[in-house]
Amino acid sequence: MALSSRLASLAQRELLMVTGKGGVGKTAVSAVLGLALSRAGRRVLVVEVDPRENLHQMLGVPPSGGAVVPAGPRLWVQNLKPAEVLDEVVREQVRIELIVRRVLASDVYKHFAAAAPGLKELAILGHALRLLRGRERGAPALDLVILDAPATGHGVSLLAAPQLVSEVIRSGPFGRLAGELAAWLADPGRCGIAVVTQAEEMPVEEALELRAALRERLDRSPELLVINGLYPPFPAVADAAMLPPADDALTSLWRRRRALNDRELARLRARWEGPAIELPQLPIDRGPALVAALADRLEARPN
Amino acid sequence: MSPDLISDDHPLTIVVGSGGVGKTTLAAAVGVLSARSGRDTLVMTFDPSLRLKDALGVGEEAREREVPVALEGALGAIGGIGGRGRLDASLLDAQQTFNRLIARYAPDEASRRRILDNRFYRHLSGSLGGILEYMAVERLFEVTANGRYGQIVLDTPPTRQALDFLEAPARIVGFLDSGALKVGLKPWFDAGGRLQATARWGGLGRRAERFLDEVVGLDLLRDMAEFFSAFSPLYAGFRDRAQGVEALLRSPKTRFLLVSGPGEERIPDTLFFARRLQQAGYHLGPIVVNRVHPLFPAAIDSSPSDGKRLLRWLGDRDAKGLRELAALFSPEQPLVALPLLPDEPTDLAALAALGEDLERRLAASDPLCRTAADSP
Repeated sequence: MALSSRLASLAQRELLMVTGKGGVGKTAVSAVLGLALSRAGRRVLVVEVDPRENLHQMLGVPPSGGAVVPAGPRLWVQNLKPAEVLDEVVREQVRIELIVRRVLASDVYKHFAAAAPGLKELAILGHALRLLRGRERGAPALDLVILDAPATGHGVSLLAAPQLVSEVIRSGPFGRLAGELAAWLADPGRCGIAVVTQAEEMPVEEALELRAALRERLDRSPELLVINGLYPPFPAVADAAMLPPADDALTSLWRRRRALNDRELARLRARWEGPAIELPQLPIDRGPALVAALADRLEARPN
Repeated sequence: MSPDLISDDHPLTIVVGSGGVGKTTLAAAVGVLSARSGRDTLVMTFDPSLRLKDALGVGEEAREREVPVALEGALGAIGGIGGRGRLDASLLDAQQTFNRLIARYAPDEASRRRILDNRFYRHLSGSLGGILEYMAVERLFEVTANGRYGQIVLDTPPTRQALDFLEAPARIVGFLDSGALKVGLKPWFDAGGRLQATARWGGLGRRAERFLDEVVGLDLLRDMAEFFSAFSPLYAGFRDRAQGVEALLRSPKTRFLLVSGPGEERIPDTLFFARRLQQAGYHLGPIVVNRVHPLFPAAIDSSPSDGKRLLRWLGDRDAKGLRELAALFSPEQPLVALPLLPDEPTDLAALAALGEDLERRLAASDPLCRTAADSP
């Protein structure tokens, strides 16, 4: 299936991190990107890091419960529990079950795992890299991992974590993993960032702040901006004759909510450099039908 | 439970809910309403939009202290009950509060510097097991203690799991009592800077520690130990305060206003928050479903435009979501819906109108149906 040029460039990457303010639809957009890129022939895993699972519902599959579960041709989903991934690293390194249990039950490890900066983030990214390199037994072969990342501020922490950990922990398996991940993430050809926003004041403000933080802290620019949840464009003046009287509450609500969208779209056009994709609100319930309809929009758009 | 939005029985209102549902705007609206009812009021917010900051007339100075909002002048024009109480606003800044607390509890300048310069602490800022969220509650505690306000409205941080913030004091007490401090104070390292095996663990202990040594390298553990030992003189003061904050949050005088987004997909979130609050012994006040698309009468035009079809569909979706949500709670639970406004409320007059609308809908005997039928 033909991909718009903006998506085609994303498709060549190994990791795509999807981030943005809470409530803008990151999970939905992750699912939409996953579906569109899998239709285009990539083998895609969409990873969600949230104790309350939502992603499976978007793609119409049962909850993953932590496993990699198929969600369509060349498409899988997983709900990742960072603490479990971390424990898994301990299991792999120590191997002797009695000692593993000692380590996992020890105060030092518990507080280390909870308080050591960047360790959970390292576990999440490390897991993605191991899957892509075929280092996880029983997992499907993959081309791309889409990470439905935590909200904005935490998204930057996630990307910054390997560098931070590699500065703090210089030796041992965690140190080596951190170094490997830092180099991987620093390569925009392999790891891309997609920012999701809505055309409303607060989400746009956060998207712009996120862009600045990425530049300042990581010297990176997002590869894609997705503007989600737009009300349909209001007909131009030429079509005004088609409209009912302006005091109609329905028309008025539509016109003014879209005007708010337009104002924020203009702000983004003035201040956001780089590719952007607009996604409409559609009268379809949350679920596979909505994800498919939005993926169609991505493919159809001649960007 | 009093159905009143503002009540002297509840001098502290804490606004909670998922990210992006409009908590901050509603906190400001409740604050304006409270001041106009004659109470000296403080609104404490975390991350207001630029417009809301403009509306309240607060800038960076509000990170340091409570700043008066010029209610009288702005609302003079709209009439009605007029700005008799004082309205102040402040912005919560975890990092600054933390630094201030370190300064207060550290016995001397050297101890203070030892903490602030610690590499572990600096790498950690933003994620010390919720300690920064906790620091924000500290400021609330300070303000309630001085008794200047008849009503305080607290907005909560935009975290995905907003209740983490409430559990922060208990977590800090647990953290200080049980684990990390002892880890930090233990003589982990011998004179040569090598990790010491603990006798209690015997041979297995040595294997486990050797693993930790290999896995994390010793630098980080050393930094952590140094941080917690630098922190130890502050321990008693922090612990007392954390317990005070905990008691304040659980007091029957503290009421939680739970804000939710519209639509069925938000129901699990709302239910989760409500149940967690109640199970944990906090006092849940009204649930506000915010930005509900109004219901419009069925279409008569045979080929409606995209926008009208969408808005009708959204109105039906949100009404269905409200009915389902209401069915999950007892009839005694105050539950109110606020319609999506054509424009976001971004000045004091609009905030005042929003607060009044919320109060009116809450007082109405059947707020749900009113909303559903109440297209603007």
